[in-house]
Amino acid sequence: MRFLNRFLTVSSADPDDTRRSRLLNILLAGIGILSLLALAIFLAMIFFKLTTWENSGLLVIGSIITVVGMLVIYLINIFWSERIAATIFLGFLTFGFAFSDTPEQVAGGRSLFVFAIPIIMASILLAPLSSFVFSTISSIIISVIALSIDSIPNIPAIFGFFVIALVSWLSARSLEQALKELRDINVNLDKVVVERTQALAESLARERIEAGRHQAILNSIADGVIVFDKNWNAILANPAVKSMLEIPIEQVEGKNFRELIQQPGLSPRGRGLLYAMMEHETQPPSFRIEWNGRTLSVSAAQVYDMRNDTNVNIGTVAVFRDFTREAEVEKLKSTFVAIVSHELRTPLNAILGYSEMFKEAVYGPMNEKQVNMAERIMKNTTRLLGLINDLLDQAQMEAGKLTIQMGTVKPSELLEALHGLMDKTAADKNIRLTSEIDPNLPDTLNGDAARLQQILVNLVNNAIKFTDQGSIRVRLFHPDENRWGIVVSDTGTGIPQSELPHIFDTFRQVDGAATRVHGGFGLGLSIVKQLVNIMNGEIEVQSLVGEGTTFIITLPLAIPEQVVVKRS
Amino acid sequence: MSELALIIEDDEDLANIFAEALRGVGFEVEHVADGKIAEERLISGTVPFLILLDMHLPHVSGGELLTKMKQDERFANTIMILTTADARMGEAYSDQADFVMIKPISFVQLRDLTSRLKPKNQ
Repeated sequence: MRFLNRFLTVSSADPDDTRRSRLLNILLAGIGILSLLALAIFLAMIFFKLTTWENSGLLVIGSIITVVGMLVIYLINIFWSERIAATIFLGFLTFGFAFSDTPEQVAGGRSLFVFAIPIIMASILLAPLSSFVFSTISSIIISVIALSIDSIPNIPAIFGFFVIALVSWLSARSLEQALKELRDINVNLDKVVVERTQALAESLARERIEAGRHQAILNSIADGVIVFDKNWNAILANPAVKSMLEIPIEQVEGKNFRELIQQPGLSPRGRGLLYAMMEHETQPPSFRIEWNGRTLSVSAAQVYDMRNDTNVNIGTVAVFRDFTREAEVEKLKSTFVAIVSHELRTPLNAILGYSEMFKEAVYGPMNEKQVNMAERIMKNTTRLLGLINDLLDQAQMEAGKLTIQMGTVKPSELLEALHGLMDKTAADKNIRLTSEIDPNLPDTLNGDAARLQQILVNLVNNAIKFTDQGSIRVRLFHPDENRWGIVVSDTGTGIPQSELPHIFDTFRQVDGAATRVHGGFGLGLSIVKQLVNIMNGEIEVQSLVGEGTTFIITLPLAIPEQVVVKRS
Repeated sequence: MSELALIIEDDEDLANIFAEALRGVGFEVEHVADGKIAEERLISGTVPFLILLDMHLPHVSGGELLTKMKQDERFANTIMILTTADARMGEAYSDQADFVMIKPISFVQLRDLTSRLKPKNQ
């Protein structure tokens, strides 16, 4: 079959030419084989004396000429031009048919129809329009033959030839058209396939580069990064994880979070925090854990599928940062502050005591100026002690050592003690300090009395600092059955709107001038906020410049037994 | 004869101030600056009417001294005033002492308190 195909194939740039020459080859082969068969039959008949050379010699010669003719045309078709080959073939057929019968039959009898064959073939083998050429040639041939035998040319036959030519032309043309369209479609399809393949290859290459880049970034991050799917199975971990958690990456990837946190190097508290991170959707932005003697800061971010706007959680990225050094420095700093504060308090206590002794005239009478001076020493010493207490509290909070200890608290006692501590300071500035308790508030509450006292003192102290005239009002209220609260409002200078977000920051006052005028580190409010946070409460502030400031604290009536806070 | 007040305090100045306050009220004052020496002093000698005990002492802590005294019958009637800078520690020992004073301790405050505690001498 392959051989036959090659035998029949003529290479050409035009697919139509190829098709035509192939078709011609098939016809040549068919006719050639038929002629060979006819030759063989005639020769056999002559050999077996069924006929004589005189009767069939011409047929034998005709067959030989046909076979040779087909062969010659085939060679022309293959090596020269399929058009010339086709023209010769069709001419050969037409003229062959002209002499295949008696002139009478050719001009107007039974042999007329054979001329239809080259006419139809011409439209397929040469070009659609060439069937008209061959219908003209056939018409001329039959007319010449008719005239040569003194007959009238057969007009209906000539008309018939042209009708056949017309039909052949139309069908060949539409066939060629259809084939052309099909080829165009094929060409376009090929182009599309090539383009798509190219695009796919490019995007694959790009993706590979991107992935490589991402991997390189991930590998070079000093923080340990583990990516979990939505079922908390680790799907990716970077090399920093290995050095930080001391687990080979192969042992991280594929493991479930629950398995990972069973590592022996992890502190029980850290395990609890990590477990909480997994269980709760909401979590602090970061927290610290102890792992193999290292302090690690852990933060986790949920990954949401942003496509389709469905916001489906598809996993979590956990980042571990080595905080060991920072934690050590922080601890040292806190210890340092605590020791220094403690050591500072003792001599300050001595100064306070001695100045009191002056004031009380322990060693003999003092004049008014001396008493006044002793009072000033006492006042400044007390202020210094207050600052040290603030620093100490701040240091304790930073070291995570500040705890609240629950007990019973009587609201009335809180306010009584507050007045005892602050009345004089307020009176010195001619400010009225008033207080009231919501009648619905229970007589006893759960809480840390000392810390609540500290909150009240800090807020009132702050109010006194920033109030030059008017009053300070303290109210204990009961907004609903689960909560109670503290309101401290003053008629002071107020806080500009732009500063409100920062007033709870450590070491911050509304402006530099305030520090000089009012003193203090600006730790008071920061400590209040942190204490309120430890107590699971909330604090808010409302302020109008020139009219005053109101702090509102709400606290749960039931607070967990023991809360230890770690600075996040 | 005036009652004996024992001040166990390692800071010389504070001891001095406390002593002045107590003397001002009329106590006879004795001072020990070291936990170990205080421990030895408490074994023998006059049982004080009042002890002002600092919790933070060299060698033997105020807490240990307090625990020992609590087990000693001789100190059953002695008034115990703890002094400490640490409010938490003060709270922790509050049930073992008669009074807990958180430093800074005011001269006047101590004088007024001890004045109330001292029996009126005829």
